[in-house]
Amino acid sequence: MTVALIGFALVLLLVLLRLPIVFAMGLVGTFGFAYERGGDIFSERGLKAAMSMVGRQIMDTAQDYGLSVVPLFILMGLFVNKGGLARELYAVSNAFLGHFRGGIAMATVAACGGFSAICGSSLATAATMSKVAMPEMRRYGYSDELSTASIAAGGTLGILIPPSVILVIYGLLTETSIGKLFVAGILPGAMGILFYLFAVRWTVWRKPTSGPAGERHGWGERLKALRSVWAVLLLFFLVIGGLYGAFDFHPLNLTFSPTEAAGMGAMGAFLIALSRGGLTFKSTFEVLKETTHTAAALFSVLIGAQIFSNFINLAGLPEALIAMVTAYDVAPFVVILMILGIYIILGCVFESLSMLLLTVPIFFPLVTSLGYDPIWFGIVVVVVTEISLITPPVGLNVFILKGVVGDVSTGTIFKGVTPFWVADIFRLALIVLVPWLVLVLPEQMGAMGH
Amino acid sequence: MQNLVTLARRASFFPTLLACVALFILMVMTFFDVILRSVFNSPIEAATELTRILMAILVFSVLPMISAGKGQIAVDLTDGLFARLRLSRIRDALVYLASGIMLIWPIKRVWILSERARDYGDVTEYLSIPVFYVGWFITLFTAIAAVAMVVTGLLYVFAPHTLTEQPR
Repeated sequence: MTVALIGFALVLLLVLLRLPIVFAMGLVGTFGFAYERGGDIFSERGLKAAMSMVGRQIMDTAQDYGLSVVPLFILMGLFVNKGGLARELYAVSNAFLGHFRGGIAMATVAACGGFSAICGSSLATAATMSKVAMPEMRRYGYSDELSTASIAAGGTLGILIPPSVILVIYGLLTETSIGKLFVAGILPGAMGILFYLFAVRWTVWRKPTSGPAGERHGWGERLKALRSVWAVLLLFFLVIGGLYGAFDFHPLNLTFSPTEAAGMGAMGAFLIALSRGGLTFKSTFEVLKETTHTAAALFSVLIGAQIFSNFINLAGLPEALIAMVTAYDVAPFVVILMILGIYIILGCVFESLSMLLLTVPIFFPLVTSLGYDPIWFGIVVVVVTEISLITPPVGLNVFILKGVVGDVSTGTIFKGVTPFWVADIFRLALIVLVPWLVLVLPEQMGAMGH
Repeated sequence: MQNLVTLARRASFFPTLLACVALFILMVMTFFDVILRSVFNSPIEAATELTRILMAILVFSVLPMISAGKGQIAVDLTDGLFARLRLSRIRDALVYLASGIMLIWPIKRVWILSERARDYGDVTEYLSIPVFYVGWFITLFTAIAAVAMVVTGLLYVFAPHTLTEQPR
């Protein structure tokens, strides 16, 4: 266990020296593995075993069929975005919500939720929505606090509402069904939107000038706005419905594996973008290029994480933790609370993906040995990660907002985010106390149609 | 020196194109696989093995670009500190050199694995594509990535001005 902890500390140190995560984890993982196998870092036997593990890991990860969901879902998000989805989603939610007090901020939250349903990244959601929503909220005289906070918080939904890159990575690290994870993310994601809407209401209730009401839109306008997004909404229902098994009835008998759902989604998004004339040869190339770059970076990191995780497992850290919990007779629920506490602290400094890669290999075996559901834990981890995106001092979404908007201080944004943060903690508590909220949908999967 | 950097950036177009084509094929193939399976009940049998190969191509052909161009995911918490201490350049140089050099061993290992596959005559299930081609491809592009990182590291030390505009 000591070796594993030293390894863990070394990875942290190297990562802080800005060594890319893949190399930090790969290096420590390799030598750690060699030590565990050969009794010495430089023993020939140990190094040979370690290198053989590393080689296999590289070859296998690169050719992992299940991993093909990563580029395909990223591609889907980028194609849909080319068609100007963010703006249209915003127009729709504005048409429905804009006339309430704080309504334009509420529309922002709703549009972020909708955009997350296509895009798997919180940072991308926040960056895209801030370009669309910020000018509008300024036009109506919304306070900087409320407007930036609603985007920063709304953006965090990107990694929970499916498809989500983080959930894919969790699924691969823990060998949990990605399809079920996606479906499990729906309800907590919807709760996220709802609670954020309350956070907006609370802010304008406390300070009515921060979010005046916009104009009311008639039903004619609402339907017109809806018409521009119906294709994308349909695509989302097709992709998630296919995963869920909603079309698994005679004569269609259509259930998607995650890869198939991602392929259908990407192709559908491509066709939608094409039919709207938003795609040129050059922009298609740009989208494909950006996708391959993101995918390659994610794959690299994943290879590093798996090497590190092999070492952690060999060093017996998960077993040691389990033994410790049994020896001290800690109640399982207390363990969960402690893990959540660690996540919230780590989240103050670490970015979501690195946090997940570092911690899941250690905590996952412990949590499952305590009898908790792997799917449930995945969602809990992602919700905590979401919270970390808006927690000071390093709330990445807040920095993204600061980067795009420019003339607002991070202090102002963090201040505005506070009610949203409280809403998040409340949601986390609900999910932890009532696992049913997470598990009810995935448990229905496969039960339909069979 | 500047010419070398420009040349490398121009040359990177071809692997990028290769990756994009692989991704596009992957998308179209997955789509038609589902359609053919559900409507005509005749899936593309080779889809799984082709997916694996296309994945390796699309990930590893852009690996040199992202590795040399700050595209690898890293934690930038301490950037401000390094900048204040005026150590950013030397740190970047060391990070690139170390990263590039430590790849030597995995490259060797992947090479051995692909040669082993060649000896055994391993082929894919439906299309009988020799497995070692994929191994070679991974070896080659990881090696290019390693060289690119070492060179970038050296440039940081000896000719930092050539790196002013990072290709992203």
